[in-house]
Amino acid sequence: MPDLGNRASAIGPQPIAERFIVPHAMLAAAGHILQLLASDRRAELEALVIPRAAAELRGLIDAIASGAYQRHKIIAHAKVNHHYYVKARLFGESAAPFTLQLRLGEHEGRWVIWEAYNLASGRTAWTR
Amino acid sequence: MQKMIAVDRLARPDEIILVPVERIREARIDQGIPPNNVMPLEEDFLKGRLHGIATGEMQAMEAAGRTLFDFPDAPWEFQLDMARQVWDESRHAEIFSKLLEYVGSYLGEFPESEILWSCTQVDDPACRVAGINRGLEGLACDVFEQIIRMGQKMGDPFIERAVDYVLADEITHVRMGSKWMRKLTEGEPERLEHAQQFQDNIDALFNFDGFRTSREDAPQVPLMLGDRQMDFDATLTISRETRLLTGFSDEEIDRLMKAAARSSAY
Repeated sequence: MPDLGNRASAIGPQPIAERFIVPHAMLAAAGHILQLLASDRRAELEALVIPRAAAELRGLIDAIASGAYQRHKIIAHAKVNHHYYVKARLFGESAAPFTLQLRLGEHEGRWVIWEAYNLASGRTAWTR
Repeated sequence: MQKMIAVDRLARPDEIILVPVERIREARIDQGIPPNNVMPLEEDFLKGRLHGIATGEMQAMEAAGRTLFDFPDAPWEFQLDMARQVWDESRHAEIFSKLLEYVGSYLGEFPESEILWSCTQVDDPACRVAGINRGLEGLACDVFEQIIRMGQKMGDPFIERAVDYVLADEITHVRMGSKWMRKLTEGEPERLEHAQQFQDNIDALFNFDGFRTSREDAPQVPLMLGDRQMDFDATLTISRETRLLTGFSDEEIDRLMKAAARSSAY
């Protein structure tokens, strides 16, 4: 849907509600986690995951070639109540881009990983 | 081109997040909210409900297109009806995308699940129309009737009318499904039974945990719409009047109501 710009001068019904603002803290946490993933900083990552998702996160870390990625980009995010799915891609000079998805949610005052999965070989965001 | 696209092969652009419905349920349970659908009292209710419908319309468009492609030997009139349905669903997807903007949301704000597409996973066109046209589109008729009532209660003619125009199409899709389910299985009672069972399974899938009730049995709960509050149905209601318009018999509607009541007992 294209941005209509100045809505007050657009013809037709105007939105009846404001858009939700994506929490800045969530985006900052996502950026930090992606940086940790790209640089294979396991210990720091393991402090940012709920216990149930720890094995999933380890699997994801193992799939990312160590030292191969320098940059990351958040491609999409989608909310489920107060949790956010974040789809992101890691980039490196000599490695194929690596796509992954996280679910982040606040836990004890911090944004942590509730789900982590590798989308690198998938056609869509699908994974079991 | 490949026939019978599996649920894990549904293509989406990068900016859309498509996840298995079980994961979305898990995310909701983790936050202490009912697993199956966005509910009144949640700040996301109207946005989330309309988003679910918008993605459902897109999958319905894809499903009708795939039915056309997957069964090239089906009668020409059947193919014409499916092509017509693709056209209808594409308009619906546009209408709901615009309604999303209207309520302050956008496509992709919430994750999309594969649950509707999973109902295409059958290689008989009679089952396909039983499941999608009678099962899913029947469900859509119930959902839309409820949103129309919500629009009326809000005093919002845009939601009320836009959804009413879509409902008019959906009623024809259900009727189309009933017609083809019977026509494609003429003289094959076992195949007809199989198609009906496939639809029953889909109806059961959407009866989860007492989430569906009759209009009369729906508990009323406060619903927040921006800074306004009004009481509205806490459940997804089954609309007898709309179902009758779609060609469901009273007996079929009673069966649906009973199945919904049974599932709430579990």
